[in-house]
Amino acid sequence: MSKPIKNIVIVGGGTAGWLTAGVIAARHQGRIQQGTFSVTLIESPNVPIIGVGEGTWPTLRTTLEKMGVSETDLFRHCDAAFKQGARFARWTTGAEDDGYYHPLMLPQGFTQVNLVPHWLEDERGKSFCDAVTPQGALCDEGLAPKMITTPEYQAVANYAYHLDAGKFAPFIQKHCTMKLGVRHVLADVQSVNMAENGDIKSLATEQAGEIAGDLFVDCSGFRSLLLGKALGVGFKQCNDILFCDTAMAMQVPYETPESPMASHTISTAQSAGWTWDIGLPTRRGVGYVYSSHHISDEDAEAELRRYIGPQATGLTPRKIPIRAGHRETFWKNNCVAVGLASGFLEPLESSAIVLVELAAKLISEQMPANREVMDIVAARFNDVNHYRWGRIIDFLKLHYVLTKRPEKFWQDNTDPASVPDRLKNLLHLWKYQPPWFFDEFDRIEEVFPAASYQYVLYGMGFKTEVMAGDNSGTRSSAASYMNENIAMTRKLRTQLPKNRDLVKKIHEYGLQPI
Amino acid sequence: MANVVPLNNHAHRALCVQAGAAARYGDNQRFVPVIVGEFPHLAVHYPILLTKDRDTGAFFIGAMLGFDEGENLFLDARGMESYRPLNLQRGPFFTAGNEIAVDLDSPRIDESGKPLFTETGEPTQYLQSIMALFRDLKPGLEVTRTFVQTLIGLKLIEPIDIDLAFDDGSRRNLTGLYTVNQGALRALPDASVLDLFRRDYLQAIYLMIASLKQVPVLARRKNNALLKASAALAGA
Repeated sequence: MSKPIKNIVIVGGGTAGWLTAGVIAARHQGRIQQGTFSVTLIESPNVPIIGVGEGTWPTLRTTLEKMGVSETDLFRHCDAAFKQGARFARWTTGAEDDGYYHPLMLPQGFTQVNLVPHWLEDERGKSFCDAVTPQGALCDEGLAPKMITTPEYQAVANYAYHLDAGKFAPFIQKHCTMKLGVRHVLADVQSVNMAENGDIKSLATEQAGEIAGDLFVDCSGFRSLLLGKALGVGFKQCNDILFCDTAMAMQVPYETPESPMASHTISTAQSAGWTWDIGLPTRRGVGYVYSSHHISDEDAEAELRRYIGPQATGLTPRKIPIRAGHRETFWKNNCVAVGLASGFLEPLESSAIVLVELAAKLISEQMPANREVMDIVAARFNDVNHYRWGRIIDFLKLHYVLTKRPEKFWQDNTDPASVPDRLKNLLHLWKYQPPWFFDEFDRIEEVFPAASYQYVLYGMGFKTEVMAGDNSGTRSSAASYMNENIAMTRKLRTQLPKNRDLVKKIHEYGLQPI
Repeated sequence: MANVVPLNNHAHRALCVQAGAAARYGDNQRFVPVIVGEFPHLAVHYPILLTKDRDTGAFFIGAMLGFDEGENLFLDARGMESYRPLNLQRGPFFTAGNEIAVDLDSPRIDESGKPLFTETGEPTQYLQSIMALFRDLKPGLEVTRTFVQTLIGLKLIEPIDIDLAFDDGSRRNLTGLYTVNQGALRALPDASVLDLFRRDYLQAIYLMIASLKQVPVLARRKNNALLKASAALAGA
């Protein structure tokens, strides 16, 4: 009989490690309470956490709710705020007023009718985003996506969070160890003991002796101690597609504690990359992601300081290397990598934490019953993850290829040799038909749905030919969805509170669970 | 604007208060906060439901007296025909610590009303009844808050959608109201049920459930009012 999978060992105590532990432990809580299943997380007491990503995805709401975390606690303990998408400023022409939103709400009636050709036919003086969803207008006005009476995790307008990654990991850790029965071991992994079949048998640690397990999850960060080092799985770089290789980050104080707080990420194109600007209740997280082949660190820092203005005086930036790419295989033998250990891409669409969630969910839902069937699950996991990383790389590249900016960094980005074939084909196709449902983005947990491609393409002025007469069959239904959008926008603008005001109220009164 | 000051028998010796129920005095409320101790009186007349405070999101329990803003369907020229919730009975009075306070700007402050003090400065029977009311209301608010927290903690609250079509062709769709989740109540472990019973909460829960039967009764009342209004309109 094949060996049952009962003991899960996770290495690494950052966001990836604790989220994975929480997702698996919540899903298998019944067996954990029976004592027939265990989740152990080994964390080095000496390695600092990188804390990548302050931007998240709406998926995090479901992930945390399933783990039994209170949303009120998240706001109170992780310096969290609402995020309703991203605004990309100056990406197309570089002009002062050049910008578009990638909101988190789908276009109105997305499952019923594709509004793109109708908007292309008659823009009615509106951006694509404003024509199809209220969310851009809500962001413009700094409104929150819900009210104090809206229950935890429920939305009026779809939302994710901006949060302090340095506080998030310890917050999830506490929940995992106190509520979900995750074993926390503080120890340094000294060596990995391998079995004859190439599986990991156990880990030798300095402080806690030997720790055996049936499935090992590598959340050890860039080092990839298990999958990369011990199992020798290579790293596939993609710096031929995405050129940014360095980030420089600063934590910027607000001018006053009452300064407005944006409810979206502001991503502004710069000469050799782009800056992120994320509003947390106590500070802004601002950083410059750039290509060191196109700008020196000194010039990048000067450009970052220019973007921030006087508030940057006296602040020291933190430099973070970005090694764009991912492992050649994500799950090998009885070892699977999640988080930075599996790969990393520039945080242009906040893909880091969502990839952790999706990976953790797949592992927990497909948890192999025994060693015999593990390889089947592993093959599936690898297939899905290759697809996901590929689509994310394509989608990030999409933001760059449509630019008209003159700087070398931007022009190099439009070089066809740097564009993946699949994206090239899609861009060709989309000249004649706009993306929608039947556009290959049909996986159950598609990272970026066709709607995301619509927002970026038409936000950047991409032109798709609309054949005369092609809209007539859906014109009335499209018009009614666009009118509905106008009514909904008007209603939400009067109903929703300011982002900062709601966050303050959540701190004071909390959100109700229902 | 409210002008709430502690009541004393010197400054307010001559103060008189209109105690009766009338729309102009603020009895025209469609949803009045109530305390658990009132449930037996309320359940035979009104739906007892939960809603959220618009400003804090916190749940509170109230008696539903009408459907539209400012509508109390139990109020007529003679006053309120059935049990009047304590929060309406208290009129312009509040508590400040152990003291009773009064809102001097309330429209109820009126020379033709009931005096609060006798000529020698003793509280009148009316003021004594207000003092007695607060002896119930003040601890009752605390008990009720704990009761609501218990319902939330046991996941016993669920939203209730009230969607009604009236004979004059109008509709009312009330959202933001909540009641006891009877499925969740039946699924409670024995220990929780016993605890609810010992704290007298079980009775309160069943009174809330029974009071749901007042929703159609209230709707009928509303329907009659609407028909009367449209008949009057046609007659004019």
